[in-house]
Amino acid sequence: MTGLHASAAQRSLPQLAELLYVLVRKELKARYKNRFLGYVWALANPFAFAFVYWIAFKFIMRLDIENYSLFLITGMFPWVWMSVGIAGATRSFVINASLIRKVRLPRAILPLGNVAQEMVHFGFALPVIMAFLWFAGEIRPMASWLWQIPLLLTVQVAFVYPLALAFAVANAYVRDIEYLVGICFSLLFFATPMVYPIAIVPEAYRRWFELNPLHALMQSWRSVFLQGTLEPGLLAYALAFAAVTGVIAWALYRKLAPRIGELV
Amino acid sequence: MTHAVTCEGLWKTYQRHRPVGVKSLLLGATIPADTRFAREWALADVSFEVPRGRSFGVIGANGSGKTTLLSILLGTVPEDRGRVALSGSVASLLELGAGFHGDLTGRENVVLYGSILGMRLAEIRRRFESIADFSELDAAMEQPLRTYSTGMIARLGFSTIIHAAADILLIDEVLAVGDARFQAKCHQALREFRTRGGTLVIVSHNMKEIREVCDAGICLELGRVVDAGPIAGVAARYEERVAAAGPGKAKGGTHAQR
Repeated sequence: MTGLHASAAQRSLPQLAELLYVLVRKELKARYKNRFLGYVWALANPFAFAFVYWIAFKFIMRLDIENYSLFLITGMFPWVWMSVGIAGATRSFVINASLIRKVRLPRAILPLGNVAQEMVHFGFALPVIMAFLWFAGEIRPMASWLWQIPLLLTVQVAFVYPLALAFAVANAYVRDIEYLVGICFSLLFFATPMVYPIAIVPEAYRRWFELNPLHALMQSWRSVFLQGTLEPGLLAYALAFAAVTGVIAWALYRKLAPRIGELV
Repeated sequence: MTHAVTCEGLWKTYQRHRPVGVKSLLLGATIPADTRFAREWALADVSFEVPRGRSFGVIGANGSGKTTLLSILLGTVPEDRGRVALSGSVASLLELGAGFHGDLTGRENVVLYGSILGMRLAEIRRRFESIADFSELDAAMEQPLRTYSTGMIARLGFSTIIHAAADILLIDEVLAVGDARFQAKCHQALREFRTRGGTLVIVSHNMKEIREVCDAGICLELGRVVDAGPIAGVAARYEERVAAAGPGKAKGGTHAQR
């Protein structure tokens, strides 16, 4: 017999929800204590990236894209949520080694904590994104956002969490994974139409770019923010990808997680 | 009699699953010789039972497998062979500061640790005054944990788990850092915990503490149970063996010679 014995504490859903809440609050509190500018730092990163690309493509490369700054901002924030969340989650088992080894808790909650924590940052940023859309693009807040944004938040969690969980498990076994994941997402950032619209990709290759599930997710965010519309096809594609990775990640977790206590 | 903790023919090796890097994949990992800290079996054929409401001590030299045993009981590490069964909820204090965060205050850490142990937030709030009273940390409760001494961290950890309303407590060598008066207070609390029907498994090098707290126990040597029974006898024979071996090099090969 190799599984962990089940006698120690199966937790109820409210217990798990509270544990997630406490873990996320811990990270946020610890991060913002002793920091004068507090949550401004959560905004600084996506804004700085967007600014750099705006300078590079608008002024230096002279790319003629309408409302380029809005295009950048509306994609950058969900991307940073995803990539920072996944990077943190990948390391989560290794960083929380003492929790893994010395305390009994459902381990899958640790990478979920990273994803949730970055989602909170994204939530904090939403008013700033909306203000930016209003002042820089004269896009007023739309009533449809009231259901579209919560829906997309849910889809993105469903999309990101399986990846986060799988990478976290893999990284406990092979520590090189965290570097690999970092490089992959740097490459994916340019492979996904994030700083250029998919329309400028040569037609012969465009089909391949559209196969990228990250494009479906990020394009959905942009169309919600810029037009107030959601394309069902993109959403369905992102959800289908989430379902497939979800099944794979959960199987991987069930099979490999019990040994993690000896590996971190 | 119902057993709170059952452990039957438990075997555990640490050799087969280790984190791999690209380097060791390419070059192959070397297998260390069978010595005190690097041997094939971390635990070999360990069996014991702890009835409900009793207190069980695990003693033995460093590297004899005590912590591995507690980790398997807790369920953070899986056994290779054998059967482990715990009936009831478990709270553990296996490492000082595990589950705590240095930047959070004592109060915030009680909420964090309590929640990790499986307590509901309402429960923690309800018991907080009692936890704070027991810890005697007073105003330090509102200070960040990184300002705490190890003794204060032990106070915080112990005060939380004793209020966790668990059926089984697993404690690994953490009371040693508390001062004598707090240790006495802990022992008193553990006695009350057992009269309420709680079961305790404790690892300690302090034979006085083991004798005071436990009813029965085992002594581990190189992962094997070399002695078991009422605690007074087990502790006395362990002390005799330690005295006989003297302060020189510990006999690493006892189990190979047998």
